[in-house]
Amino acid sequence: MTIRPIQNTDLIRSSRFRAEREDGWKKLETLLSWAERSGVAALRYEQVHELASLYRQAMNSLSVARSISMDKALLAYLEALCARAYLVVYAPQEGIRGAVRRLFSEGIPRAVRRSSLPLLIGFLAMVLGAVVGYVLYFQDPGWYFTFVPPEMSDGRAPGASTEYLRATLFDDGGRNKETLGVFASFLFSHNTGIAIFIFALGIFVTLPSFVLTFYNGLLLGAFFALYAEAGLATELFGWLSIHGVTELSAICIACAGGAQLGLAVLLPGNHTRRQALRIAGHDAVKLIILAGLMLIVAAIIEGFLRQLVQDTSVRLAIGWGVGGLWLLWLVFAGRYQNKSGETKTPDYEAQA
Amino acid sequence: MKNRAENILPPEGVPISFEIASGGSRFGAQFLDILITFGGLLLLFLGLIWAGLIAPSMLATLFFLLIFFIRVPYYIFSELVWNGRTLGKRIVKIRVISADGGRLTPHQITARNLMKEVEVFMPATTLMSGTLESGWFGLALGGWMVAVLLVPLFNKKRLRLGDMIAGTLVVDNPKAILLPDLAVRKSKQETTFVFDASHLDIYGRYELQTLEEILREPPKSPQAVTRVSEVARTIQRKINYVDQVLPTDYWDFLSEFYRQQREFLESRQLFGDARESKYHSKNK
Repeated sequence: MTIRPIQNTDLIRSSRFRAEREDGWKKLETLLSWAERSGVAALRYEQVHELASLYRQAMNSLSVARSISMDKALLAYLEALCARAYLVVYAPQEGIRGAVRRLFSEGIPRAVRRSSLPLLIGFLAMVLGAVVGYVLYFQDPGWYFTFVPPEMSDGRAPGASTEYLRATLFDDGGRNKETLGVFASFLFSHNTGIAIFIFALGIFVTLPSFVLTFYNGLLLGAFFALYAEAGLATELFGWLSIHGVTELSAICIACAGGAQLGLAVLLPGNHTRRQALRIAGHDAVKLIILAGLMLIVAAIIEGFLRQLVQDTSVRLAIGWGVGGLWLLWLVFAGRYQNKSGETKTPDYEAQA
Repeated sequence: MKNRAENILPPEGVPISFEIASGGSRFGAQFLDILITFGGLLLLFLGLIWAGLIAPSMLATLFFLLIFFIRVPYYIFSELVWNGRTLGKRIVKIRVISADGGRLTPHQITARNLMKEVEVFMPATTLMSGTLESGWFGLALGGWMVAVLLVPLFNKKRLRLGDMIAGTLVVDNPKAILLPDLAVRKSKQETTFVFDASHLDIYGRYELQTLEEILREPPKSPQAVTRVSEVARTIQRKINYVDQVLPTDYWDFLSEFYRQQREFLESRQLFGDARESKYHSKNK
């Protein structure tokens, strides 16, 4: 913007200020309405260049106008113009693809390595639940009916014959390949809903997440005890492992994400609770994305492979093999060192 | 509800203010989004079933995937692509901004929308399915859901829990309209009204800007003309302007007074004497 000198000395100072700069503002407004309609990508190089410099000049004008002008209309206009320009200039610059790549190559593994306490809480909830469920079952099988809702047990209850229980583990349920896809997509949709739910509840001081995960553990423990009593422990272990290593870990990780939020509310340290939530949110969100991803994989395994693979040792190998791959990724990805040997911290994390 | 402004400090260091979106427009945008996503899904499936091109099992797979997608992921993707606006927000003209003055990051968008699951979807589905359990537990659950829904109404910036975690604000889209400068004389003629320092010493910024609002709308009806003449007579009396002003000249009188008063106040301000209102001399 070139400031057009105004000859008319009849104008008062703030009117002269406005008359000299008005053309630049109008030009900025035109550029803005283009950018708002079809994105900054639609502008030419010179136009973007001009937009940036006009934005800074409008900001400058606003700052000056606030101290020299009493024209309310002008101040309101400049304020709104700058706000519009700010939203265009400071729009997210990173494409979705770049953000996703960075998230997987370093964001998630680092977040996992940073959140050992919440992860401990998450896995502890599940393991404790399982142990309690298992022990209680052997004290009194009646507990089974307390833990497992009847629509879920589907005949798999204390007193069922060993043959029936075995059949539930090695039967494809009469599903052909077409319905397997439906089953997998249903599992994914359903489980991810639960995981997000467990996560989001964590904000209420961790407790609901812990209780839900603990309950999941109880179910698991009681279920395991039922089969163990029938002498089918190894077979059930294989049946559960093939997808459960991934799926149950995902639930624990979702719980850990929730626990992270809950801990921030419970123990905010030197921050206010709102600040603490905001800081904890960075890692917590990455944990829940990880949980979602793992649930997709688990649903595919559960929907297809569990029905197609009937051999217990192969089931064990697939389940724990996939689990090992997750662990490898989470432990080793995103650890790179610069020449001086220090671990490099990218700028965005320093800002966070 | 009364509108509230919130100052944001961009990297340029000049604070700019945004109007916090009202509770009504937040609710409207959310409602529209739900209507668009679920309605769209319904129409799509009616169309697909009618066309009969896809096998039922494929249809079911697609249904489960889409029903998941139109919950949290839809909001994340649309806010990422349109810089803080979903379709519903675009219609009611509100948007999400980052409260720290920087750009809106993918993390913030993801965080604020994940919390939607407990804040919006869970209460909504529970209420709609009507499976709210009876007894104390159901009552407590219902009360808790209502409390979560009401969080935005009980804080100054109308933040929901997701906004608190992500550090975001929902604001009205700014609208920039440049009105003409009233201090520019339309005709070149010499002014007939001259005000001296004693006349201009009375009022402050507040009165000046109120006069500006009056001058923005030239009177059209007889009642409006009477109001303008009342204003002119009051000002004339208050500032002790002794010369005769003809009723036909009241509008010119006010315009000219505005111009000279503004020039006077602005130059006082440059000398460090900011006069907020007509009580400026009493505060000293």
